[in-house]
Amino acid sequence: MHLTIFALRMTRIDPSPTVLASREIKLHLLGLVLFLGLLGFWYWLSTGARAVPTLIEMLQDDDPSTRIVAAEQLGQVGPAAQAAIPPLLAQATGDGNQHANTTAAAALKSIDLTAARQVMTHFIPRLQDQDAQQRRTACAVLGSLGPVAKPAVPALIAAGHDPDELVRRNALMALATIGIPSPPIVAALLEGLRDSSSLVRQTAVTQFAFTVPLTQPVIMALTPLLNDPNRSIAGLVRSALDKAKPGDTAQLESLGMMVQHSAARDYALHQLAQLGPHAGDALAPVLPLLQDDRPLVRYLTAEAIGAMGVSTKQALQPLQQQRQDPDPVVREAVAEAIAGVEAAMAQAESSDKAARP
Amino acid sequence: MITTTPETSSKLRVLTRLGFWGGVIGGLLLPWAIMLAVEVVVHQVPIARAWRSFTLHLFAPGYNFFLIGLLTAVPFLVLALFVLLHLGAAPAQDPLIPRRRTLGLAGAGLGMLTLAGWTHLEVLLHPDAQGALAYLYLPVILLASMPIGYGLGRLIATILLPRTSS
Repeated sequence: MHLTIFALRMTRIDPSPTVLASREIKLHLLGLVLFLGLLGFWYWLSTGARAVPTLIEMLQDDDPSTRIVAAEQLGQVGPAAQAAIPPLLAQATGDGNQHANTTAAAALKSIDLTAARQVMTHFIPRLQDQDAQQRRTACAVLGSLGPVAKPAVPALIAAGHDPDELVRRNALMALATIGIPSPPIVAALLEGLRDSSSLVRQTAVTQFAFTVPLTQPVIMALTPLLNDPNRSIAGLVRSALDKAKPGDTAQLESLGMMVQHSAARDYALHQLAQLGPHAGDALAPVLPLLQDDRPLVRYLTAEAIGAMGVSTKQALQPLQQQRQDPDPVVREAVAEAIAGVEAAMAQAESSDKAARP
Repeated sequence: MITTTPETSSKLRVLTRLGFWGGVIGGLLLPWAIMLAVEVVVHQVPIARAWRSFTLHLFAPGYNFFLIGLLTAVPFLVLALFVLLHLGAAPAQDPLIPRRRTLGLAGAGLGMLTLAGWTHLEVLLHPDAQGALAYLYLPVILLASMPIGYGLGRLIATILLPRTSS
């Protein structure tokens, strides 16, 4: 009896021939799986639409950096963050911190185009405010709305002649970020190359180097600036001239591929919209995006098709299907694109008739 | 041959468990702890504010501290599995084998810890536009350093713990 108890105790002390029994190793592995599952659950809870209520609370925080980060995250969530529209509108138009204004406006552009246009409507009159700081902020916020602020382009072009150089600089930056319609924006930026302030000239060149696609008149205007006495301007001109030239098929192909990837889609569509008729060959990969879930993508697609100036029924039919788009801003862009395509078709038809004997 | 006493065996078990969970949790917490320490010690930010800013940027686009933690944790997780399967499955009867394995794994762990710590500090103390790339390369570098650290640890173990013939 005593021997049996002794043997049992010994077994309990060291029952395994290895440091850990295989059962314990399996339990640890199970624990690890549970731990990883918990981490995944934490990530799931803290991202996407689940995070919206917490992020809305954060928009009310006293610390501007908290409001800024919350707005950025809400922008990432996209249309699922509809509940955040009123506080984001308040932050975009009423916050005393300019960065808080711009991040909220940029977030609204990804969530709801109509709300983004409301921000635009709020800031356009402020481009003529007595206070230069108000005008600078107005330019910055309009720029943060990107191509959605297209109707603000004439007002921003006028702000490009403001007596304050920082307003002029911000206006040029905003115009480049909006990007469409391309011809008047490019003209304003070319004018900026001749500004009396070197800061404004440098800003104009920077937009050609990094944001705005090049056209032949731009190349001609930039080339003499390669010898600009300001070395930083000359360097930026060199970078701009190293970029893809108009009609570059490789660039079109890569943009055509980029529109198929969600992470690069907005950028590629915006670039195609700015390339205008040069981007006509990229129509095929662009057309299906008229059905995208995100209003911003549908808007950019309609703008890109409209800017391409294509004269084919291939573009007209999908556009007509989108006439009833739930978003009014998309509907407006679709109507403009249809008018553009129909005009191009009518012009092509009349040229055909004139060419016939 | 020297046999393992129940006390030694128990210590080895505790060491294996600590090594495993230390690797899993430590690898995840290491970059976060360094971020907080740099904020508090180098940038003189009060700890409560540093903590708030840290939690705010955990899932923020462009910062994603959570992802940085996960990326650094991956090689440490591999190390933890190595500890569990290599040390945990070492024969308990001959203490020399688990001891040598312990030194090998300690070499790997210390090497990885030093490399990860240094990289995170460098990125935070000397930030630049390409700095974030370090977070992508770090897991690969840490995984590559693991067998080197293990080999060095085993070499030290062979010198310090020679097999004596009874």
